[in-house]
Amino acid sequence: MNKRQSRIFAIVATGFAVVAFIGLTLHSHTRFGDLTNAENITPEVTHGKDVWHKYNCINCHTLFGEGAYYAPDLTKITQHRGEAYLKAYMRDPSRFYDEQRHRRLMPTQNLSEEEIHNLIQFLDWVANVDNQGWPPRPILVTGGAVNVAAQGADAGVAQAQDVRPVSADSDPRAQGEHLFRTAIPVCTACHSLQPGVQLAGPTMAGMAETAERTLASPDYTGSATDVVGYLREAIVEPSAHVVPGDMFSAGGMSFMPNTYRDSLSDEQIDQLVAFLETLK
Amino acid sequence: MRYKSQSVAYWYFAVAMVLFGLQIVFGLLSAAKYLGPDPLLYILPFDVTKTIHTNLLIVWVLTGFMGATYWLVPDESRTELYSTKLAYWQLGLWTFMGVTAVIGYLFRYGTGNKLLEQPLPHKLMIVVSMLIFLYNIGMTIRKARRLTTTEGVLLLGLALSAVLYVPALLYYENYTVSIFYRWWTIHLWVEGVWMMIMAGFLAYLLIRLSGIDREVMEKWLYVIVGLVFFAGILGTAHHYYWVGVPQYWLPIGGFFSALEPLALAAMAMYAYMAMRRGGVRHPNALALHWTIGSAIFALFGAGLLGLAHTWPSVNQWTHGTLITAMHAHSAFYGAYAMIIMAMITYALPGLTNRPQDSYSPLGYWAFWLQVSGMFGMTLAFGTAGIGQVYLERIMGMGYLDAQMKIQVHFLMLILAATVFASGVAIFIYEFFRHRPRFDVVDDEVLAAPVVDPVTGQVTGSPTGPVAAHPVAEPAPDPVVRREH
Repeated sequence: MNKRQSRIFAIVATGFAVVAFIGLTLHSHTRFGDLTNAENITPEVTHGKDVWHKYNCINCHTLFGEGAYYAPDLTKITQHRGEAYLKAYMRDPSRFYDEQRHRRLMPTQNLSEEEIHNLIQFLDWVANVDNQGWPPRPILVTGGAVNVAAQGADAGVAQAQDVRPVSADSDPRAQGEHLFRTAIPVCTACHSLQPGVQLAGPTMAGMAETAERTLASPDYTGSATDVVGYLREAIVEPSAHVVPGDMFSAGGMSFMPNTYRDSLSDEQIDQLVAFLETLK
Repeated sequence: MRYKSQSVAYWYFAVAMVLFGLQIVFGLLSAAKYLGPDPLLYILPFDVTKTIHTNLLIVWVLTGFMGATYWLVPDESRTELYSTKLAYWQLGLWTFMGVTAVIGYLFRYGTGNKLLEQPLPHKLMIVVSMLIFLYNIGMTIRKARRLTTTEGVLLLGLALSAVLYVPALLYYENYTVSIFYRWWTIHLWVEGVWMMIMAGFLAYLLIRLSGIDREVMEKWLYVIVGLVFFAGILGTAHHYYWVGVPQYWLPIGGFFSALEPLALAAMAMYAYMAMRRGGVRHPNALALHWTIGSAIFALFGAGLLGLAHTWPSVNQWTHGTLITAMHAHSAFYGAYAMIIMAMITYALPGLTNRPQDSYSPLGYWAFWLQVSGMFGMTLAFGTAGIGQVYLERIMGMGYLDAQMKIQVHFLMLILAATVFASGVAIFIYEFFRHRPRFDVVDDEVLAAPVVDPVTGQVTGSPTGPVAAHPVAEPAPDPVVRREH
């Protein structure tokens, strides 16, 4: 090969790559709208994006796995934490995490209420972008490895977490356990099954006994009369009775998402209750 | 130094060295925060130190590129620069931009867009500065009517760097689309046109240091450029994996970015073959260390460690973890920091009126401390990243708890970074130790005159031939090298 030929190689190789890249870029533009639900980019979402930029969030956190690696990925955060929780968290992170314990803490950002609201709208838009199912398993903020979790979308991965495969005719309790790990927002993001392990929500260990004690207590504010009723109420109407603690609620409003009433069927809620009732 | 105007390069290098030092300070600070708790949480939080760390990198590397180009172009085109005045104005504007940007970051004045944090006025200053630079260089070559291939590749790389900055100036409503075009700047810089720049400097240094035939070197330079772009342009797709773009970017990114190490392997082979064929006769053995070191470290850090996590089925687990930090540190250091230090080490004797072989053992200490420190940092990030991937991504342990389990790797990171930083400090000290003296000489002074201790007569010519080393000689002890 002489110098002229090697120059031709450089030009042809580059030309091929440029043409292919620009062609694919043009095609991608026809797909961006669908994949990112562009119709949902409201002025609130756009303002939320500006808030994300203004406070330099990306130089600690990642979004779509892009950013810095000093703080948790937030791609699916609105599927792991309810809006009430995220708002309370943004007002003062130090109420939720202890710098001495995790050696890291997010500084309070002093966002306005409007900024907080719109930032959450933006993060919720991000969570719903079709990004090839990433992450393959939820990236949790805290929690033990025993909380191995899988997201609902990917049935194969979710199945792998079950002791034995769960099907439509499995025991309701087994189906409930499967749901505990796969419902969106995923329960395991905030509730552990280990005694004393408090994540963003209270532990589910000994749930049946806890429920009985709560029902018998004069502080109980809900309307359930038995354990099954209590568990059901806690899922569909989390604020009916709030567990004491700054981490779990503010102003009588539970941080738990109140979306399960709509996102789960009656039968699925029964299955979840059946599972939780076994936790003695 | 053959042309008086090459002295411009000294001041660019001086600015680059100061910014390099600052970059390392902010890097160490950021690393310390991984260990925590952070007493500066409300004074200098991580996001600020990290922004400054990465931005200083971009600014000092570009300053180094420009300085090295101002040194190289007169040599290659055999002429004085078109305007030194313009070059100094450009340096002033550029430095003002860099310094005010960093001060602004301390107060969170920035766009909050990763690696493109420069506020709009600063972005415009960057564009103006680059245009002045390209104009000055372009006019120099036009005046000389001589453009070598080495120079051409270098300049095309620099010009395309300016062009590819344009997408960074635009506004995108859709976050996914803004990510898409952010990589046109960042990826196509570091895995495209900057590699052209690196290859241009590499060719220049190898031609000068090994004395090998220019035709042969430039023929292979074209091959390297072809490989860089063939793989690198479509390799952009590895940044498109999980961000909300069509599915086909996954296999395209996997295939083409798996080819990206080819160009880096070609550069390492290129450097090795040049040494084999041309020998290592040049007395500036330290510049040779940096040149070969850059080619090899780039193959390791940019090529192999990039390949390690670029395949989609691997990347879905490693994406957004410290594995990326492992690759990024070794890649930037090997490909860009080292090639600039090679250019500085080669040019500095001419800029301080010293012979080419006048480096003291300290210069070698700087090289080896940096290389071993960066290798250790790469291992620390890599082991931390592997731990993170298994605990957090595969076992499902929460992010904060997983980070607690890999603290020992952060300790290792800080230890290795301290070794690295001491190498950097020595390099900067070596740079500023000698007063700049811009004497024009017809030919470079290869070696100090040898004075016979008995007769007092000069027996060796300053520009005369210098004994060749055996080709396969292992890297010598710095102290021994001094005798040479």
